[in-house]
Amino acid sequence: MRAFVVVAIFGGGFAHATLGPALRIADVAPDIPLIVVVLLALRRGPEFGCGAGFVAGLLQDAASGGLLGVQALTKALIGFLIGGLGGRLRVGQPLVQVPGLVLLTITEGLARFALLKLFHFPAPFGELMAYVILPQALYNGFLGAALVLALTWAETTSENVS
Amino acid sequence: MKIRAFALLGTVAAVCLLLLTLQMRGHIAGASDALAVVTTPIQSVLARVNRTAFGLWSTYRDWKNVRAENRRLREETQTLRVNALRVTETTEENRRLRRLLALKESMPLATLSGEVIAREWGGWVRSLTVNRGRADRVTRLTAVIAPDGLIGRVVDVRPGASIVQVLTDPTSTVGAHAVRARTQGIVEGEPRGTLRFKYMARDGSGIQIGDLVVTSGAGGLFPRGIPIGRVRAIDDRGSALFHYAQLTPAVDFARIDEVLLIVGEGAHDVAALFPPAGG
Repeated sequence: MRAFVVVAIFGGGFAHATLGPALRIADVAPDIPLIVVVLLALRRGPEFGCGAGFVAGLLQDAASGGLLGVQALTKALIGFLIGGLGGRLRVGQPLVQVPGLVLLTITEGLARFALLKLFHFPAPFGELMAYVILPQALYNGFLGAALVLALTWAETTSENVS
Repeated sequence: MKIRAFALLGTVAAVCLLLLTLQMRGHIAGASDALAVVTTPIQSVLARVNRTAFGLWSTYRDWKNVRAENRRLREETQTLRVNALRVTETTEENRRLRRLLALKESMPLATLSGEVIAREWGGWVRSLTVNRGRADRVTRLTAVIAPDGLIGRVVDVRPGASIVQVLTDPTSTVGAHAVRARTQGIVEGEPRGTLRFKYMARDGSGIQIGDLVVTSGAGGLFPRGIPIGRVRAIDDRGSALFHYAQLTPAVDFARIDEVLLIVGEGAHDVAALFPPAGG
């Protein structure tokens, strides 16, 4: 299981840089590490979510060539937040998963924007929101829901087999 | 537990903010490089795996596309072949009709064009059914011709069609003469579907293979000079009263599709309207 977690965190970070472009739809790529962090945080709690978010975000920062620590912090925050709220959410429902991931992606985007603004990053908020954050949030919502369904199906199948 | 979690979050936040601050001040420019030492090789491997996987996928998709395209092109080829056949058929029909029209316009006789709608080719009877009948004022014994020569005569007229007795019908006889030798005789149909020219032995000494035999116009049924056929073989019967010459018909009766019916007075010489070779 630990190996799976490590692969998930690291794989998510690298998959974003390598597979992300291939998954583009109309120039919008999903934030795979964010989905991975959310899924892990839901299962393992806030501490794990925070750590996983930090590692995945740091790898993403390093892979993308941006400022180290921006995504590490935002993803750690998201992991912590969702890990803490996980028990109170009915995340088994796609009707919760899709809007939930959309909301989380927007939150992460806003946090990232705020952080970058804090460090004088020159980016127009409106355009970032319209062309980057919102489309990616929608993509994440549907891709994340599909991943949740696939994981549930895999778990059910493995339980039935054993 | 809760405190530990918050402590972790605080630590993470502090580390990140410290990292960002140091980066902005240009102090840890090497941090990215240090991380890159670890991340770059892994990224390279993953990119290679990714490229291979997508290459395979792309090959599979190409193969599928090629198969679908192959199928589509085969269907298109079939359609084009059918269309080409149609065009060829139409061109051929156009050519035939032009020849028929040219003959019709040059004829000094009233004619009516008709289309062959059926054939009787059994041997006992050899006839064509033409889509012109009583309504078109076609009468019995109307002469029927084609651009290459004589076909026969109408033997039965129905409301919408006429039956044409073809020259090769065993009961068909037509007054004829050999153009070069001026030998008079009768062209008869034979049960095997051939034509023979029957003439008086004393008049036929000059007939040669290849001679053109045309209608004589005797009796007024057929206009004079319509090609019937060419002498293919001469059957010399010694001292018999009649000799025979086998003819190759000027018209290919099995392939004729359009005809002209001569509905007016037939006492004309129309030899000049047909090609000298009879074809």
